[in-house]
Amino acid sequence: MKTFEEKWTAWLDGELSGDELAEFEASLPDKAAAEAEKRDAHKLGAFLKEQLQGRAMGNEEFFHHQLRERIAGDARAALVPERAGAKPALWPIGRLVWVGATSLAIFCVCTFFVMREKGPADQSQYLTQILNARVDPAVSPNATISMFESGEGKVTVLWVDGLQSLPSEYATK
Amino acid sequence: MQRRSYFLIGVSLALILGGVASARASQIVWSGLVIANNVAQPDKIPPELNRIEGTLKALFGYNQFKVIGQSQKTLVTGSEDWLASSKYFSLSVDSKRETAAGYLVNLKLFQEKNLLLETEAKVSKARPLVIKGPQVGDGQLLLVLVVQ
Repeated sequence: MKTFEEKWTAWLDGELSGDELAEFEASLPDKAAAEAEKRDAHKLGAFLKEQLQGRAMGNEEFFHHQLRERIAGDARAALVPERAGAKPALWPIGRLVWVGATSLAIFCVCTFFVMREKGPADQSQYLTQILNARVDPAVSPNATISMFESGEGKVTVLWVDGLQSLPSEYATK
Repeated sequence: MQRRSYFLIGVSLALILGGVASARASQIVWSGLVIANNVAQPDKIPPELNRIEGTLKALFGYNQFKVIGQSQKTLVTGSEDWLASSKYFSLSVDSKRETAAGYLVNLKLFQEKNLLLETEAKVSKARPLVIKGPQVGDGQLLLVLVVQ
């Protein structure tokens, strides 16, 4: 058995007929108001149908073609990983690191040998050298200066003779 | 594989940086005013002169070496100056620059306010510098510069 709401919806849609229609319309308390409501519902339905209609596609064939191409591309991409696995990259990170470390080690070894060969030849520049020396001739007119290495090269000596002798009290701290 | 590579790189960097750091490490220069003389009971030689004790004795003929003034300077930039002084003498040391071979220094020996001696030398760690100064009483004033 239909409820009132179902009958009302069917009446609005014009789906009631015969005795059922007569019986429903007789049950309406205000038929004029119901008719007005029915008209409004039809107007609203027509308006919505007009506004919500989908836009017609102008270049339908083009979009179909694009879709087919995209699907074919995806299908091809699915096969690529299998092929990529067969051929590894030429210089992966790990190999680059090893090449770098090996180069560094070779550089260090070469540097070591070059420095070792160069060492003895330049040894003199690593020893203490007196570049110049002078005494005030007014204070020490008879002073003489000589420079030499002593103790089998253990010390470099600046030997100054002729400086004025001083009393022993000058030896205090 | 990747972990081993990181380890290798780390070790390499540590070695390189360690080498650079040690090469640039600051050095200590000891400068001293030393009175050398002959006594019956000589004092023990100062530790800074230990390595050249035999050379000093042979060179100057004295058996005692007493420090009357000293200075120990840690060189950081290589361009520093300092003073080692006793009551009557002072040794001014002006380190001008650091080279691969050592330090270029300008030395001035003052007797109170009088400049007795001035010299410029390149001092290396391998070989101390000894300067024979004036006769003082029965001994000799020596100036010694040691890069430690």
